[in-house]
Amino acid sequence: MAAPVSTVGKPSAERLPLNTTSFQKKTRTKLISIPGTRPSVQNGQLLVSTGVTSLDYLLGGGLAVGTVLLVEEDRYDSYSRMILKYFLAEGVVCRHELFVASAQDNPDDILQELPAPILDDVAIHKPVEQPRLSCEPQDSLDAMKIAWRYQNLPKVQSALASSSRFGHYYDVSKTMEPEIRQAAKCHRFYLTEHPTQSPPTHSTMLESYSALLKSLQEVINSEGFDVAAPMSKSRNILRIGLPSLGSALWGDDLSCHDNPRNGHALATFFYGLRAMLRSSLAVAVVTVPSHLIQDRALMGNITRLCDNAIALESFKGSERETNPLYKDYHGLLHVRQVPHLNCLASKLPDHKDLAFKLKRKQFTIELCQPVSTIGCQKSKVKLLTVA
Amino acid sequence: MLTELLQGSDAGGFIIIRDSASCSGRHLLKSFINAALNREEDVHVLGFEVSEEELKGSPVQRLHFHNAYSDPLGWTDKPTFTVHQFCMEELARLLKQTSHPKPATLVIDSLSWILRHVSPPAVCATLHQLRKGGAVRAIVALLHGDMHQRGTVGSVCHLASSVITVAPGMKGGDAVAKITKRSKSGKVVQDEDIFTINNDLTVVIQSKHSQVGHKQADPEEQEMDPTAHLTFNLRLSNKEREAKEKLALPFVFSKEKKTALLHSSPGSGRILYEPDANDDYDQEDPDDDLDV
Repeated sequence: MAAPVSTVGKPSAERLPLNTTSFQKKTRTKLISIPGTRPSVQNGQLLVSTGVTSLDYLLGGGLAVGTVLLVEEDRYDSYSRMILKYFLAEGVVCRHELFVASAQDNPDDILQELPAPILDDVAIHKPVEQPRLSCEPQDSLDAMKIAWRYQNLPKVQSALASSSRFGHYYDVSKTMEPEIRQAAKCHRFYLTEHPTQSPPTHSTMLESYSALLKSLQEVINSEGFDVAAPMSKSRNILRIGLPSLGSALWGDDLSCHDNPRNGHALATFFYGLRAMLRSSLAVAVVTVPSHLIQDRALMGNITRLCDNAIALESFKGSERETNPLYKDYHGLLHVRQVPHLNCLASKLPDHKDLAFKLKRKQFTIELCQPVSTIGCQKSKVKLLTVA
Repeated sequence: MLTELLQGSDAGGFIIIRDSASCSGRHLLKSFINAALNREEDVHVLGFEVSEEELKGSPVQRLHFHNAYSDPLGWTDKPTFTVHQFCMEELARLLKQTSHPKPATLVIDSLSWILRHVSPPAVCATLHQLRKGGAVRAIVALLHGDMHQRGTVGSVCHLASSVITVAPGMKGGDAVAKITKRSKSGKVVQDEDIFTINNDLTVVIQSKHSQVGHKQADPEEQEMDPTAHLTFNLRLSNKEREAKEKLALPFVFSKEKKTALLHSSPGSGRILYEPDANDDYDQEDPDDDLDV
């Protein structure tokens, strides 16, 4: 949805962060605020969290409602699947509705593997903006022997995070409780349950993609996610997760052949998907096995047709695994496309070499820091980063 | 990890043996068939590339060889098994022919032959249905990696639970197997084994992952210890270390002075300024210095 939201309602987190004020903007129009969303500070778009706070920061505060996030998969589809699970888990916690469509795994299996949310209110990685209070115990002064004048200065944070709390944190080692998961409404589309009809010869899209778009259209219209629907009932956001779109199991030979016969089927699908999302209160996260797609021009087309695009490159199995520069990280993250919604230019990310690390309680995206190899192992050169 | 895969402990697996022109994977495939037969399982072999006598010398009871070698494309009137019969309905019918209660192991020799004549998305769909349907316990397929485009090989290997890439080893009879195994939880484990196959088709693992190649030599050369042959002493004895720590450095303050400096009162260094009339000089106004 591209229209700016002019009310600034109460923040959706259970506990008010310390730096919000009680001032509320007076407005004449009464727009219903949807739980789990907030307006962007840059351009007033309605944003939802992707479930990964570092990714939210990278995308400019969150994912705008009505846009598509394309995640180019890593070689074994481990981390892109993890991002999709975070996205769906965030939808369950914010009480949005979910739509999962898959050709390989049963959507029920994907929904059963969602990570468990960490529900206590204490933020795990609270960025240190406030300086240390003066009631610190005395023996902490011995922490720095020579540079003790810097004791009270806030720590430089290298992980990208924004100051106010928007998303939630998840524990990857546990799966979400069935009670929490069943509280959220999920729509499923499993390709093997939809028998393929005779292929229409005149369309550029495969019938698997057409069936998926039709199913999405039905859900959006019947459940009232359409923007044109009457505003009387309470609105909600539909979160669409499409793992491994474009793989051979969808019937597409884009990832098999260098010169695919129906190479524009996937691009046509994305065109139709984005058009549908622009007029509805829905967000989509799509993962595409781009490492199998040899035609880079087609991949470029697909990237342009999505609003946000990131690519994951995991170190598993490549020669970068043994590189000491990357020993703390699990892979590199490349930002391929940033959205320009209702504006001419968009805010490009300042830093180009980002790396990600999947820890048990957090998926962090950081600047790739050089590690000094001579001398003690713990010393790192921390670049001054943006807060 | 090669021995674990040979033992076939986990059901529902799809193993691809990926070979190339420099090193054939058919011996390893025969070892897999042998291991499955030793486990008292039924084995169905779709043989496209070699005849039955060449694959298995004497007929074994539990081994069902479907002869696709003599007429794979159905040119004669009565083909036994053609490449176009590689779809779910035909294969299910084929597998039901045996009356064994346990689901069988399906061995495909080779998948490359099928990929040449049937489109890769159809092949992937059939393989996916085979795995999900439960008609077979495990699928072992031979794939010639250099016969297809990278996307095709990648797509098919993406469906597999384990991919074994064989390459020629250092010595004559050896071969190197690089194994990538994906578990259901998404964890990926990689391993490398050097193995030989005996005449009775048992696999002998020589040594694990001995990289005597040039990869290791370069970092070893650069990591010469610079403190090795010095004429002066860089280390401290215990007494010297204690004396060093006792030494008071010139700008190290005591704790009280540190806290006093850290939590200094806000009014200690203020600048008091009262704006003067002369400070209203406006740089942009050209008339400002007129004395009128």
